[in-house]
Parts: sequence; C-alpha cells; structure tokens
Amino acid sequence: MTAAAETVPGAAAPAAPPPVLGRVRRRTVAAFLAPAVIALLAVGIVPLIYAVWRSLYDFNLTRVARTRFVGLDNYATVLTDPTFWAAMRRTAFLFVTAVPVQIALGLLIALLLHRPGLGMAKALTRLALVLPMATTYAVVGLLAQVTMNQRYGVFNQMLGWVGLGPVNILGNPQNAFWAVVFWDVWQWTPFVALVLLAGLSTVPPEVEEAARLETRSHWTILRHVQLPFLIPSLVAVLILRTADTLKLFDMVFTMTRGGPGNATEFIAILIERTGNRQFNIGMASAQAIVLLVITIVLARLYVRLFYRET
Amino acid sequence: MTRISWASALALGAALAMPAAAQEWSLEAAAEPYAGTQLDVLFLDRPGYAAALQMIPEFTERTGITVNVTTVPYENALGEQVRDFVAGGDLDIALIDLVWIGNFAENGWIVPITEFTENPDLVDPNLNLDDFFPLLLDAFGSWGGVTYGLPFDNYSGLLFYNRCMLEEAGFDRPPETWQEVMDTYGPALTKDGRYAFALQSKRNETQSADSFARFLWPFGGSFLDAEFRSNLLSPESQAGLQFRQDLMQFMPEGIVAWDHAETVNALAQGDVAMITEWSSFYFTLTNPDTSTIVDCLGVAPEPEGPAGRRPALGGFSLAVASQADEAERAAGWLLIQWLTSAENAERYLRLGGVPGRQAVYEIPGVAEEFAFVPALVESWQEGVPEFRPRFAEWPEITEIVQEHGTRMMLGEVSVEEGARLIGEQMEAVLEAAGYYDGTKPLVQ
Repeated sequence: MTAAAETVPGAAAPAAPPPVLGRVRRRTVAAFLAPAVIALLAVGIVPLIYAVWRSLYDFNLTRVARTRFVGLDNYATVLTDPTFWAAMRRTAFLFVTAVPVQIALGLLIALLLHRPGLGMAKALTRLALVLPMATTYAVVGLLAQVTMNQRYGVFNQMLGWVGLGPVNILGNPQNAFWAVVFWDVWQWTPFVALVLLAGLSTVPPEVEEAARLETRSHWTILRHVQLPFLIPSLVAVLILRTADTLKLFDMVFTMTRGGPGNATEFIAILIERTGNRQFNIGMASAQAIVLLVITIVLARLYVRLFYRET
Repeated sequence: MTRISWASALALGAALAMPAAAQEWSLEAAAEPYAGTQLDVLFLDRPGYAAALQMIPEFTERTGITVNVTTVPYENALGEQVRDFVAGGDLDIALIDLVWIGNFAENGWIVPITEFTENPDLVDPNLNLDDFFPLLLDAFGSWGGVTYGLPFDNYSGLLFYNRCMLEEAGFDRPPETWQEVMDTYGPALTKDGRYAFALQSKRNETQSADSFARFLWPFGGSFLDAEFRSNLLSPESQAGLQFRQDLMQFMPEGIVAWDHAETVNALAQGDVAMITEWSSFYFTLTNPDTSTIVDCLGVAPEPEGPAGRRPALGGFSLAVASQADEAERAAGWLLIQWLTSAENAERYLRLGGVPGRQAVYEIPGVAEEFAFVPALVESWQEGVPEFRPRFAEWPEITEIVQEHGTRMMLGEVSVEEGARLIGEQMEAVLEAAGYYDGTKPLVQ
C-alpha cells in the first residue's frame, strides 16, 4: 500500500516539507548565492557571450550599418595573423623574463621576512611592499616616462653620478622592452613576496625547528621542508602572474603605447588597438577569445603539472 | 581705453549701423525658448579649450543654457565620441578633429549647419561664414561639399626656433627650405650635446600627422593617388620619407619616443634649436613659467620642400550631434555660433585660443603682439585639406602608419619596405571599405 492510499479522502494533505540541504533551506542557500551569481553573470558571463557573438561578425563601430555575419572568418584571420603571434611571442618573452625574477626576488624577501627578530623593520618592510602594488598601473607607466626620460629622468641622472652617459631608454626598442620588464618586476615582486611569506607561515614550526637541528644548510631546509609548503602559493602566483601578463595594458600604454616601433606591443595592447583605435570590435573580440582560450589552457597546465608533483 | 574697449566700441558702432533685421536678433532672445537646456560636450586639455571654458559662463548667464564639459585626453576623444554616438548617448555637440569629419558625417552623427543657418531665429546675422579661413572651414568642418561644423580650435604647423642659438651659429634668419635645414642649419647647430632639430615622432597620431605626413607633402608625395591606391612608393613620397630618415642625424637620440611635450620642452629648455609644432604651443613657449627662451623665440612658416610649402594642418571644429533633441540642437548651435563668432574672436585669442576668423588677424597690433600670427596666416593660405585623409577609414590607417612609420625611423625596416607595408595594408582597408568596387566615392 502506498502512502497516497492511506490518505483520508477529503482531508487536507499535509504540506510537503520544504527541501533542505543539510539543515539549511534551499531557498536560503539560493538567496545567499544569488547576488554573487547575478554579479558574475552580469560582469563575466554575459559580456563573454556577447564577445563570442560579436566575434562572428564583421562589426566595426565606424561602419555599423555594414555589419555582417562572417562565421569563423575573424578567428581564421587572427590565427594566421603574424602581428597577433608576434604580440603573443613578445608577451611570452615578457613572462619568462619578468616572472622568474619576481619569484626569485619575492622568495628572497619572503625568506628574510620569515626569519625571527627585527620586528619593527619587518613591519615597515611589509608596509613598503604594499606601496608598489597599490600604485595604479597607469601611474606606474607615467612614473616610468618621467624617471626614464633621457635628458631629465632620474635614471640617467644616477648613471651620470657613476660616470655613465645618458641611456636612451624609452626610444630604443630593446631598452624599452627591458624597461617594461623592470617596472613589472618593481610592481609585482612585492605581491609575490607577500604570497610566499603567507605560504611560509603554513610550514609547521616544529617541523622547521627539527630541520634546523638536523642541518644548518638554508638551501636544504628550503628545498626539503619549506618548498613543498610553498607549491600552492607558487601555483597561485604563476596563474595570477600569467593572467596579469597576458592582460598587461595600462602601464605599457601610458609608458610606450606599444612602441617604439612595436617593441612593446603586447597582446593586450594589440587587442585594445584593434577594438578601441581601429574600432574593429569583431576582430578584437576574436583576438580576446583566442587569448582567453590560451589563458585557460595555461592555467589547467599549471594545476596539472604542479599539483601532480605535490 | 584698452584695445578690447575699442573693439567693443567698434562692434557697437557696427551693430548700430546694421539693417533692422540684424539689430533685432540677439543671443538672449534666440536662446529664450531653450533656457534650462543642458548641453554635453567633450573638450581637450589644451589652451583653446581653457579659453572657451573661461568664456562659457557668460554664455550661460546670457542664455540660461548650461554646458556640461568633460575634459579628456586627445587619445581618448575619438573613442569616447564614437561609442557615445553608436550607443545613442548624451553628447549634444561633436568635437571633430579634421581627420574625423568623414567618419562622423558618413555615419550621420552630425547635423549640417544649414538646419540652423536657414532658421532666422537661430542664425546670427553676423555669422558671416566667409570670414573663416576657407581652408579651415573646408578641411575642419566640411565633408562631401556639406558644412557640418565651425572651426573652433585651429592649428597650423609652424617653425619655432631659438633665435639666439641661430645667431650664435651665424644665422640671421630661420631656414626657408628643408634642404637648408639638412645642408646648413643641421650641421652648424648640432654640437655640444644640443641638436638642430627635433621632430615629434611617438607612435600615436603624432607619428602620422606630425612626422610621417610632414615629409610627404612638401616633397610632392601623398598617401594616395587619384585612384586611391597607395602613393607611398612614388619617387616623391620616397624622397620625402628618406629625407626624414637622413634628417634624424640632427635630432636627439630616441626621437621616436618623443611626443609634443618632450619636443616643445626641448626647445623651451634650449636643448634643440628648431622644432615644427602646432601654432597652439606658442603660448607654452612664451610663458616664462614653462620656457627659458621667451626672449629668444622666433616663429616662421614651416620650411618649403621641392613641392613648395605644405605645412601640417590640424584642428577641430564643433558640430551639433544628430542624437541631440530639438532643444539641444538649437542650444548647441547657439553655443557653437557664439564661441566661434567674429565678435568673440579677439577675446578667444587673448585667452589662449587660436580663432579661425580672418578679420581678427587684421586688427591693428594683433600681428605684433602675437608673433605667430603672420606665419599662421601665411600657412593657412598654403595648407592641404587632405594632409591626412579625412575619410572614415583614417582611424584604421593611422594605426598602420604609426606602426611602420616608427619601425622605419628605427631602421627595423627600410624606407621602401616600410612604405610598401603601409601601402599594402592601407589598400586592404580601403578595399574592405568599398572604395575600389565603386561602393564609396573616392573622397578624402
């Protein structure tokens, strides 16, 4: 006999109990999640879908009336465009030159701050580390322009103090590229240092103390005791810095605008140029989607490689 | 009595002598139906706009029309406006660089001035369009034979030079030809860490307008031929671009990273002897707060090339945006008409603007007081409206010129190869736009 058969005809059926998730009502869960989901949809998913849709059109803001569906033509153009791949190579080179330096310097700073003692000095150092990160990207670019001015900049003034002639920094393609590397390292090494410092704080003190009793080699302690605890922080740094490098725009735009020539035309600069200067929104959308795919692939790769090691 | 007072008295006298119909029109009466209207417009952070900002409160006081000005960098001005017009935004007045006029007009974002000039309630009887320099009204405000905007912030390329440096080197006059700059002035003035010439060449519109185009036209070259094919590989264009390349030996190292600020500053600090810059920088170079060569500053027209003097031409007009409603259109027109009026031209000039009215430069004493005036007036007789093509595709083409133009200067590509690359990419843009299949008329 089923439960329904036991119901007395004409009597009001007992109200079904509200669905619960553990001890919390589903409606409550939905209410808490909704703002975040709506915000994510509004600022992330909807623009992404719009970009995908637009990437299938020949859509230029200066000739909106002639917009037409072109299917995957924009993607074909992007994938065979030497300018796009040159910008990608430049961006990759920036990443492989700047990020290792940031990690090395960041680790050094984190290890110094992790050592016991010097409380006040360390507190001040932590404070100082926040300043470059808190500086707006565009302001960093302007700062670079002023300080690296060949005739009036402080960099060349300091070189003059040691008897070196003024260097043409921002007007020389190679130097301009290294200038971008320098300022990226300046701005983001503190971030890496603070993340790794947080990672070091997860090392159990008793394990670290025991290791110190076993060996006086800092390298051994770092390699066999601290580094395993730092892997999650390093993966986070790699993912974040990869994403940041791929979308590096403001600083370079105010500093060199992609020049001289195309020495500092990184991928985000190229996409902005296509979309906002040439108003070719369809092509810029296709470029951005390709970049998104590359970013996702890289992020998955990091997670798979590094977490497998742990 | 001051000069302004004399001018006011003359204006009053002229007004009294005018026909009855002209006397009846007043700004206050014309604006009465539109009192309370708010206008939205973009301005740049340049002297001509600062001058206008000082004048606008009087306009508001007399008309009740308020003006909401948003100041943006030049680099953002086109994008801000294009997005606003495409989206049907708030802007009631379009600020139009001469290379944007084709874009704005073809897309129907601006209104022909006949909508207002044919309305006796709105048109000032003293509007007198013939008083504008014809080159300016044609290049800055007109497209396809239709006038949309009135010249507002007007420039011509001029040769600014440090007279003291030239005299020290034995020159009693500025160079008259580019060949003189190369053969005589360049070698004599480039020494002791100082340079004869600086050519702003940064990779933005500066590279296209101030550097690349500046050496095409005086040498007989151009961007396009009559069929709208690239003319950059013609002997004349190549000669001009090669000349620019050769002239770099007399310029500071890293000139491809120099924008207007660095270039004007180099002259102002006595580091270079000559620059070719927009007329609007006269006020920076004559201000003791920003220039150390106030007493040594000389101004002349740009040097001539084999094809004559073809100075850089730049500037902005103001036009009523078609997305504005009826009241905003009328109010916008009244503002544009008033700001660019002959009545206000001298005041605008004294506040740091460069008016496009001819009459103001004929006022006794103006040429003596503003040393750039004779060179400016001469330059505006010889300018080329299509100094940079003004069609809707220029935003795409200028990016191509900027990229390969700077690579050319850096020696990453030869002059010929750079010109070929620009030409090919430029033609691809024009083909996609429909210039070669007859979809669009060959108008630049």
